Amino acid sequence: MNPDWQALITTLEMATLTTIILLIIGTPLAWYLAKMTNRFKVIIEAIVALPLVLPPTVLGFYLLIAFSPEHLPGQLWQQATGQQLAFSFSAIVIGSVLYSLPFVVQPLQKAFEQLGDSLLEAGALLGAGPVDRFFSIVLPLTKASFITAASLGFAHTVGEFGVILMIGGNIPGETRVLSIALFDHVEAFDYAKAHLLSISLLIGSMVLLAAIYWLNLPKRNNTKNVSRSIKLQDHTNHE
Amino acid sequence: MSKVLMNKVPVDNTAELNIDITVNYRHFDLAIKQKLPLTGITGIFGHSGSGKSTLLRVIAGLEASVQGEIALNEQCLINSSKSISVKPEDRQVGLVFQNSRLFPHLTVLENLNFAVKRCKHSRLTLDEVIELTELSLLLTQQTNELSGGQQQRVALARAILAEPRLLLLDEPLSALDQHSKTQLLKMMLNIQKKLNLPMLYVSHSLDELQQVCDNLLVLSQGKVVNFGNIHQAIHQLNSYDDSAIIHQQTSLSLTIKQMDNGHGLTSLAVGDGQEIYLATDIYFQQSSPLRCFILASDISICLTEPTNSSIVNHLFGTISQITHQTSNVLVTVNCGSQQFFVTISAFSQQKLALSKAQDVFLQFKASAVRTFIH
Repeated sequence: MNPDWQALITTLEMATLTTIILLIIGTPLAWYLAKMTNRFKVIIEAIVALPLVLPPTVLGFYLLIAFSPEHLPGQLWQQATGQQLAFSFSAIVIGSVLYSLPFVVQPLQKAFEQLGDSLLEAGALLGAGPVDRFFSIVLPLTKASFITAASLGFAHTVGEFGVILMIGGNIPGETRVLSIALFDHVEAFDYAKAHLLSISLLIGSMVLLAAIYWLNLPKRNNTKNVSRSIKLQDHTNHE
Repeated sequence: MSKVLMNKVPVDNTAELNIDITVNYRHFDLAIKQKLPLTGITGIFGHSGSGKSTLLRVIAGLEASVQGEIALNEQCLINSSKSISVKPEDRQVGLVFQNSRLFPHLTVLENLNFAVKRCKHSRLTLDEVIELTELSLLLTQQTNELSGGQQQRVALARAILAEPRLLLLDEPLSALDQHSKTQLLKMMLNIQKKLNLPMLYVSHSLDELQQVCDNLLVLSQGKVVNFGNIHQAIHQLNSYDDSAIIHQQTSLSLTIKQMDNGHGLTSLAVGDGQEIYLATDIYFQQSSPLRCFILASDISICLTEPTNSSIVNHLFGTISQITHQTSNVLVTVNCGSQQFFVTISAFSQQKLALSKAQDVFLQFKASAVRTFIH
């Protein structure tokens, strides 16, 4: 197989798996952050936001140390699976989850905060338990934020370089993703292939982002109602 | 239809809400110890910050860190010493909020079905409730297309469809215009009677409470000030010489003596053979007593019977109490067993030389007898 195709498949596998894991971990985390009121909230928020400001190589460096067989996380992994964690597909997925965490948690947390408690209280008094309330009230009303969170998480993972270079290396079919393949082409002065990869990534990202914004666009026939409901709410708030 | 519904819902005359709780907030403490017999509609009156909405939230299970006990019909809802706190979804207590809190992603019908799907009984059908709340024409609408009054009707219908044992109403009318208020109050009364559903109704408007409640709980600064029959409780509030708390008034439930005298006036029996007149409304029903109130400032006192007056109402009575207030004098007059409250100026009181046990005539216009639900 063309190594670039293989890199694309690895990238898509990594990004899809990462996005699924991020939604599973990120949703409850965002929920508790939205409901938390004590001082630990700030600390957890800072930890979640850290990948936004930290050089990816710093995160990658510490993960490399943690994943090595000499340290506890790497040791436990090796005992459980029989395989080394560093320089594996699993390593780049774990790295991506940590690296893209804020892109999933922050939009969800904001959506949950905006939703507030009032509709959930109304739901509870109509006999809906917590899980029921999540699926019947929270999910439909924050659908747009879930789409945004998943897309941003996915896109950010596809575009990741530093962390993967540190903990994944460059193993074809295992850890060699598109951004690494691109770097290889440039290093080998194969600018034609580098151009092809770059333009594909650029167009792919552009299409993905446009799709998100299109999905989040208010439906045309509903815009009137939305503005009216806002007016009505204003009215009741005054009273 | 009312008969059918009455048969479906078992009449429980022993229904009682037993409250003994304290809730401590940084700037506010709520400490309530009160047994509330759950018959008809029980009003909860107090000013903002008196704790009335918080009390409803505590009963509904929406407030954390509540100390004490609440039992509904002997079933424990909260018992902090036994660490029991039944979750709101398991309490079978309904709550209609000030802002209707309809689900914006669902239509009117879907909002109603939200309650139906989760209701563990099926004493009521969707159609019955839609008829009671007059929603049949709105079912396919989005909730944001509804007026404030329509939204509250949907919220009321949705709460009833969950078939609660107790319905809490937290200022459900405060954002509505007078027409919608009257309509919704009538609807609440009708639903209460047909379903025999006990209600706790929080409001800062004594007028609304006077029209529909059987009993009144008065709260002030997180404590119970008074509890009792609606008329007695309002009359006791008359002792507050503060128009911010109450417009001093006589609160009445009177039977209709003659529906229309041919001149647009209906007469009500006061009890000792006397009667008072008010303008006839097409909604008056001979079968049930009429709720009305007369502001103390709308009544005047005469020493002789005022026969040559356009004012139709004059009652004979005896002064039982004279209270000097900051700007005027509150005179309590007994007409038979019925007390009337009158405020007059200190000047008039001196001029007429009024004293306790003195016989007087009360005079007030037919339009001073106020009622807005019939």
